[in-house]
Amino acid sequence: MKELVRQFRDFFVSLQLTVVLLAMGIVLVFAATLDQTNLGIWAVQEKYFRSFFVLWQVGEVPVPVFPGGYLVGGLLFFNLLASHFYRFKFTWKKSGIFMTHIGLLLLLVGELLSGLWQEDTLLTMREGETLNYSESQLKNELAIIDVTDPKTDLVVAVPENVLARGRTIEHPDLPFRIETRSYYQNAMLRRRDEAPNMPPSLATAGLGPQVVAIPVAPTYRQNERNSPAAFIEVIGREGPIGTFLVSTNLASEKPDTNGMVVQWQPQTFSYAGRQWKIMLRHARVYHPFSLTLLKVEHDVYAGTDIPKNFSSRVRVNNPDGRDDHEALIYMNNPLRYQGLTFFQSQMAKSVQLTGLQVVSNPSRQLPYISCILMGVGLLVQFGIHLFGFLGKRRKVAA
Amino acid sequence: MSASRRTLSVVACTLLLGGCRDAKITSYRVPHEADPAPVAAPAPAAAATGSAMAATPVATTAGMALTWTAPANWQSKPATTMRKATYTIAGDGAEADLSITAFPGDVGGELANVNRWRGQVGLGDLTAAQLAGATQHFDANGLHLTVVDYPGQGAAAAQRLLGAIVPVGSETWFFKLLGPAALVGREREAFMEFLKSIRKS
Repeated sequence: MKELVRQFRDFFVSLQLTVVLLAMGIVLVFAATLDQTNLGIWAVQEKYFRSFFVLWQVGEVPVPVFPGGYLVGGLLFFNLLASHFYRFKFTWKKSGIFMTHIGLLLLLVGELLSGLWQEDTLLTMREGETLNYSESQLKNELAIIDVTDPKTDLVVAVPENVLARGRTIEHPDLPFRIETRSYYQNAMLRRRDEAPNMPPSLATAGLGPQVVAIPVAPTYRQNERNSPAAFIEVIGREGPIGTFLVSTNLASEKPDTNGMVVQWQPQTFSYAGRQWKIMLRHARVYHPFSLTLLKVEHDVYAGTDIPKNFSSRVRVNNPDGRDDHEALIYMNNPLRYQGLTFFQSQMAKSVQLTGLQVVSNPSRQLPYISCILMGVGLLVQFGIHLFGFLGKRRKVAA
Repeated sequence: MSASRRTLSVVACTLLLGGCRDAKITSYRVPHEADPAPVAAPAPAAAATGSAMAATPVATTAGMALTWTAPANWQSKPATTMRKATYTIAGDGAEADLSITAFPGDVGGELANVNRWRGQVGLGDLTAAQLAGATQHFDANGLHLTVVDYPGQGAAAAQRLLGAIVPVGSETWFFKLLGPAALVGREREAFMEFLKSIRKS
């Protein structure tokens, strides 16, 4: 037993491990940078850094081929911590090194916490509109909504990856089950009467029979988003209720920031005496307050189309009646409210639409603190050496 | 296996298992949300299907796009994901609809698509041998256009269809003007000029 403990200790305090992990980190960053052209920044972050292993898909089986950011960073964290406890003896002469290492440890912890806790969503609103939710820029969800009650909606949200797996979807709040008949990671929709030579639709209800979903290659560009589509069959106790085509392109409710206009009609059905609405939409995060967009401004330099300033005047309203105030959000002047930061992100003045990036990151201060610690630590350490050196020179000169 | 490798394996497996995260189905209640009102009048043809939809545009291939110059009297409609563009041409108290769509591949080929259009104005199918005589071809701005002009028959006798099929990279674009025969006939020259203005952006 003692031998095993000694092996663990020697492994974690080893300087060789530090060097190997730093080299692995360099390889990881290099490979991820190259792969960014294929996958885009979001997918690369997930694949290389926010994972324990970098996986390659061999047929249907994901095979780990290299340690991921969590493994390399985690081992580096324990390596640094264990080395400190085992080797490092604190003296004032080494206080700078100590501070620098504490800063580095904090940086690693901060990155881990950001990866786990940070949530980026987008709040797009037209002038006059009031919303109490923002939408994910990456994730989608199948929302099955019981809209029978005129006061409240009961929402069952199924993440897109559950839909993609094709397993039977059941939930205690749903009196029926859902089977995925077909799923496309990215698909374009066309009107059936304008789409030549298309096979018969799988859909039997809703908009599906009039629309064709044509699978296209997934996009990984930073300024584009995949539009997934799926044919899903809703099956009650007595038998099938209907097969619907759902797609994020069928659920968009407003013009996007490119100014494209949408008229949206929900797909609904009745079952067990209740009225249901079904849609594949950008995953929503609801907030305990609402924002109303009062005015959007898009100023340009006189005589040009060059943007000078984007700004959104919003009213923040808390239903508990404690808060009701206006705020002006513009570039470099975000609104901070209830742990969320609202940045001015997108703008389409022609359709009076604004896009606010909503960031929730409880650990957002950690990188700043760690950088200050490392900077001060290095200054202290070099200062100690410099003053020691100058002291020695003075003595020699005297 | 050496002791250090064994240790590394144990650590890696522990971290791997600890890192498993899975998305869960959730349910919650929210205040009732009314269906949003449309923000603009839908394109007439789109309204017939009960929806006109758009969102973030998705590149159908590598993002190849076309540009064109439309006559001033053609009213541009909002873009949707169903169509690349829509124009409405008004006259004689009626409207003609110009739809511009794009699909990956050749979507069945020229004959199938020409016959699909013919069917929309009550005409019978052509054979492959008849196709050449029933279509016109010209090149403009590095693009090859196949153009058709079909007056309607039978129930669609009051209609006329002008169309163009344009292969662009790995896509096929379709330009279709459909509407009252007299109105479409008056716009024929403008339509041809419009086709000549199409170019890769």
